Amino acid sequence: MADAALTEAQTQPGWGSSLASGLKARAWGLGSIAGGLLIWELISRFLVGNKLFLAAPSQVVVAFIELTRSGELSKHIYISGLEFLLGYSVACILGILLGLAMAQSTSAKQALQPWVSGLYATPTVALAPLFILWFGIGIMSKVVVVAVLVIFPVVINTEAGLRTTSPQLIETVRSFGANARQIFFKVALPSALPFIFAGLKLGIGRGLIGVVVAELFGSRAGLGQLISQSAETFNMPALFAGVTILAAAGIAMTSGFGWLERKLLPWRE
Amino acid sequence: MDMPVKLSVDKLTKKYNTLEVLRSISAEIHRGEFVSIVGPSGCGKTTFLRIVGGLEKANSGEVRLDGRVLTGPGSDRGFVFQQDNLLPWRTVLDNTEIGPEIGGYRNADQRKKTLKLLKLVGLAGFENYFPRQLSGGMRQRVNLARALAVDPDLLLMDEPFSALDAQTREIMQTELLRIWEEGRKTVLFVTHQIDEAVYLSDRVFVFARRPGCINEIMEIDLPRPRPLSMKRTPEFVAYVDHIWKLIEEDVRASVLEEHA
Ligand SMILES: Nc1ncnc2c1ncn2[C@@H]1O[C@H](COP(=O)(O)OP(=O)(O)O)[C@@H](O)[C@H]1O
Ligand SMILES: [Mg+2]
Repeated sequence: MADAALTEAQTQPGWGSSLASGLKARAWGLGSIAGGLLIWELISRFLVGNKLFLAAPSQVVVAFIELTRSGELSKHIYISGLEFLLGYSVACILGILLGLAMAQSTSAKQALQPWVSGLYATPTVALAPLFILWFGIGIMSKVVVVAVLVIFPVVINTEAGLRTTSPQLIETVRSFGANARQIFFKVALPSALPFIFAGLKLGIGRGLIGVVVAELFGSRAGLGQLISQSAETFNMPALFAGVTILAAAGIAMTSGFGWLERKLLPWRE
Repeated sequence: MDMPVKLSVDKLTKKYNTLEVLRSISAEIHRGEFVSIVGPSGCGKTTFLRIVGGLEKANSGEVRLDGRVLTGPGSDRGFVFQQDNLLPWRTVLDNTEIGPEIGGYRNADQRKKTLKLLKLVGLAGFENYFPRQLSGGMRQRVNLARALAVDPDLLLMDEPFSALDAQTREIMQTELLRIWEEGRKTVLFVTHQIDEAVYLSDRVFVFARRPGCINEIMEIDLPRPRPLSMKRTPEFVAYVDHIWKLIEEDVRASVLEEHA
């Protein structure tokens, strides 16, 4: 019987082949990036030829090194990072709690739904100047902008994840005498986790946009401030250095999340 | 049967709004008995099983297990579902131990029993697999092991093999009998396959439809253990024929209705 069971088991792709295919996929990605950078370098050197309009990658690297040497860059990264981290954390905690409340109680859902749907669809980032007026030019206003942008996808996904819990699975644990608390922790929450993760991931990009836009409207430091200041002084290499760091942060956080997801939710494909 | 009565059902009636699904069903099942329920689709087999499992309330009537009136679900009954309903984020082992976990006795002692149980259902070595890595037949084995893990007095099975291909289903039938011989639990097994019911059971309850009620109770007087080849003996075929004649009209009616 064990043999029959063995042949019934799904065969999994071998390590060797998955490694090879991974390398192949990466090779194409790396090649594409290198090619893009090369074209960018050539265009800005020979076609545009003016640092005021477009900086070549090599010039961005030089600006990056100079900004790092002067200690300016680490200051900007620290401020923007802090704003993002605070706003993002607050939004995640509050968002998950609100999502839970909406899934647990119909009245909470009915009361919150119009606000959540309305504000999610609104480009709330346009309200950044208002928040700066209210909360000042310091980091507080940016934290608020980030939190406002991040919270809605988190609420919506948490609520949707909990709401779509399979009734059959709930019934199964109920047949073993599970109470409401056990149903929540053993079925609803684990089945909602992939949705919650998706919401947190969506929040990363929105949060980064929030940091930069809020800083553009008024700030003393931060990557957004570096970008706007560089634009005013036509310092394109420094501007691109700021943008590159933001892009790298976004990519790093998103793939970090992907990694965490595979660690925490190994049961998914 | 000279065994004491395990389950007794008394004048059970169930309606969904105006739809009368079960009308005054009364029956007794003895300890260690394997009873199947057959009947055309829509005759209320699942509803009946869910009421016995405590997952659904009857409009009137009583269900007693060892003399106690049942009011809700409990670990004195193990439910094997039609779809396997395994929790996808739990491994085979963690799925199997969900009952003990809910009951608060998931300990080292239980672990030994669970591992033995997984071996019994042919899943030794698959403890750490996730459901998506298993075939349909293997998932149904976990489904069965999960129900057995709470060591229930009564096993309730709702068409557990209906999603499997014909060969796997026959294997699972013999496997089920082998596992059943080990512990001789009382089993209430729902199926719409007449040969499956005859092959497995001591008695077969033949349900009529609209409203569902027991049309006839058939004693299956075939020796055990039963090899698959028994399905080709004249005695076996006679039982199947007899039951088929009983429900033929109802099946035709239900098929016509489904295509209407
Ligand atoms: N929750 C429900 N609400 C309304 N009608 C139901 C519900 N569950 C089952 N029914 C109806 O009751 C009848 C019996 O269903 P069921 O017990 O599932 O039959 P079977 O398992 O024999 O196919 C069917 O006509 C079905 O449509
Ligand atoms: Mg059914």
